[in-house]
Amino acid sequence: MRKLLTYISLFLLPILLVWMLAEVFYRTVPNNYTYKHEQISKMEGLEVLVLGDSHTFYGVNPEWLSLKAYNLSNVSQTIYFDKLLLEKHINQLPRLKYLIVAVDYTTLSQADNTQEDIWRKYFYKAQMDLDVPLIYWYDPKSYSLAITRKFDKTWNTFKEYRNNKTLISCDSNGWGNTYLSTVDAVEMSRLAKVVAKKHEDESMDFSLNSNRVQQMIDLCNEKGIEVLIVNMPSVAEYVSLLNSNKWQKIDSVCNQIEINNKNVTRINLLNNKQFELNDFQDADHLNAEGAKKCSLIIDQILKNKND
Amino acid sequence: MLFNTIDFAIFMPIVFLLYWFVFKKKIKTQNLFLLAVSYFFYACWDWHFLGLIFLSSVVDYLVGHSLAKTEQRIKRKMLLLLSLIVNLGILGFFKYYHFFIESFQEVFTLFGRNLESSTLNILLPVGISFYTFQTLSYTIDVYRKKIEPTHDVVSFFAFVSFFPQLVAGPIERASNLLPQFERKRFFDYAKSVDGLRLIILGLFKKMVIADNCALAVNEIFTYYPDYSGSTLFFGAFFFAFQIYGDFSGYSDIAIGSARLLGFDLMQNFNSPYLSRNLGEFWRRWHISLSTWFRDYVYIPLGGNKGSKGKWIRNIFIVFLVSGLWHGANWTFIIWGFIHALFFLPLILSNKNSKFKDIAENSKRLPSIKTVFQISFTFLIVTLAWVFFRSENVTQAFLYFEGMFSVSFFSFPTVSRGLVLFLIIYMIFEWLQRDKKHLLEIDFIRSKPLRIAIYYMIVFAIFYFAGDTQPFIYFQF
Repeated sequence: MRKLLTYISLFLLPILLVWMLAEVFYRTVPNNYTYKHEQISKMEGLEVLVLGDSHTFYGVNPEWLSLKAYNLSNVSQTIYFDKLLLEKHINQLPRLKYLIVAVDYTTLSQADNTQEDIWRKYFYKAQMDLDVPLIYWYDPKSYSLAITRKFDKTWNTFKEYRNNKTLISCDSNGWGNTYLSTVDAVEMSRLAKVVAKKHEDESMDFSLNSNRVQQMIDLCNEKGIEVLIVNMPSVAEYVSLLNSNKWQKIDSVCNQIEINNKNVTRINLLNNKQFELNDFQDADHLNAEGAKKCSLIIDQILKNKND
Repeated sequence: MLFNTIDFAIFMPIVFLLYWFVFKKKIKTQNLFLLAVSYFFYACWDWHFLGLIFLSSVVDYLVGHSLAKTEQRIKRKMLLLLSLIVNLGILGFFKYYHFFIESFQEVFTLFGRNLESSTLNILLPVGISFYTFQTLSYTIDVYRKKIEPTHDVVSFFAFVSFFPQLVAGPIERASNLLPQFERKRFFDYAKSVDGLRLIILGLFKKMVIADNCALAVNEIFTYYPDYSGSTLFFGAFFFAFQIYGDFSGYSDIAIGSARLLGFDLMQNFNSPYLSRNLGEFWRRWHISLSTWFRDYVYIPLGGNKGSKGKWIRNIFIVFLVSGLWHGANWTFIIWGFIHALFFLPLILSNKNSKFKDIAENSKRLPSIKTVFQISFTFLIVTLAWVFFRSENVTQAFLYFEGMFSVSFFSFPTVSRGLVLFLIIYMIFEWLQRDKKHLLEIDFIRSKPLRIAIYYMIVFAIFYFAGDTQPFIYFQF
């Protein structure tokens, strides 16, 4: 028995070493989670807060907003985390006037704990100091970030850090500043098909996430904050490839939310003609130019409201 | 708790250490400990269904006892019937209720009558088909007086719920596993090392082979109308490896974990894709189930005794029941039917028992004839898998329609790297075909080389693992 335990220990030693290095890497190198957490904690005079997933992360640039704004959205950030972030920070933002929340194709039907992004919840807990009810105390992954992701992903993240010297992909306003290019029409068409396939979750059950949006609106209402529900722009071909019934239902839910809540304004930019193909990085994400356009539209609406 | 999770990586060492250091003195406490951790293991999925395992265990323990006390034929038959009704009743209710109700509704609809649909929402308890068959084997063997009933209730309950093979087999026989619970177990270094090798190999098969194939399979089977015939063929090819890696990987981890605890479970897979005909395939694929059906269904039906017509009937019954065992769907029944159909020529030519030896044992390379035989068998098995993987019969036929179209001759849009990897894997299986498993590498004298091989496999598990997929056989 002693022999076996010794051999197992020796065999596991290099593996444990790699695990420890990965853990140190995740715990010490700043990334979007740690950076945004640090930034938002310092934003006392904030007037506009942007939440949402990659569509707002890359698509709403606070630099083009007249009021003091911060973009707290993140890649694959679901309404579940939007709500937790709002609940965590709202009391520290006494001057907050507007909350911008993105509602896109997957926002309302998004299930919790999906395979692809299941690891992110541990980062929200560990690096954004969120109390995430989805994580149980006996979940080993809540104690080690290195085991939340597969090793190849960790290695790729390390290579990204080695190449870019940083893992932070947003500016000091929280805007995702790495989408700077565009693609031609042929490539855009291919991307539209790929992304549409990826986004089709075949769920029309909006109850859980609609409820969360409503809870966020109610919380804002208590604090006198107005909510802007934004349907972010997307390439027309991508939109057409998705379930039209679902789009209609999303449209009707958003309308209903606007009708039912005095503090809500809906901004539907999904098929806005001002956006051209070269405003997009890919089928459903704006690039820097598109983000400027989108932010200026939102800014105009905010100005009108202020007037 | 899945074998390929951190949870199991924590659970298993704790169980191992407590088992050998804290509970090793008394066999009773060791078995009680195994029973407790097995129930905990199952409860991690859904503790509500623990009652079903407990009920099956109680019924079969009491039936076994009562069988020992009576010699009256009718009474013995009634006791056996009681066990069959309870076990198969539970299995039938949870697994086949919807299937039979829906099938009846469809039949009535054909005759212009509409029956009201069922509103029962029944969840399938994980592993119910496996432990039901295992506990049934005990009662039937006691009834047949092949084994003596156990008087050790803890051993029996631990035998039914033994966690390494509780949810997906191998389906153990009471005659093999139960005595191992009743005698003292000693730590065996060589056995433990082999157990660890099997665990590593099983993780490799599951996480690298099965989970990577699953990505391609899910894509191709979901969007099959968009793909060419050649790509659809490779979809079926990948599924053949997905299900093999998934299920044999699980079995390897189960057998390996049991070995760490001093138990020997039966081999469940033996390089099935190197089979030279379908008869050999079924001696190498899911061995614990095929031998179960052989001993408890096929032979009681008469086996190959009597006329050829009866023999063929028995073969069809076994394959159709085997199909139904896999799931409550016509796709599985048709899958079983296809296997029975291709078994027919073997029966008619009396070649079903051919190829019991290791293929080309003395040679390194296979002959052209052997390559042809293996490829042909693999082709039949792969095409039959299309039914196994499809959501329904219509989808399976549409899949075949797409596959056998003009585009079959186009270049497939699949990962060439994955195809190459699977071919290389099969070459290694061929080279190791006379061994019990792929990682039986004691013939390599250099210890550093052996360790390097283990590290390479561990690295592959960490680096090349596909997105985690549930074990396919859990649904059965």
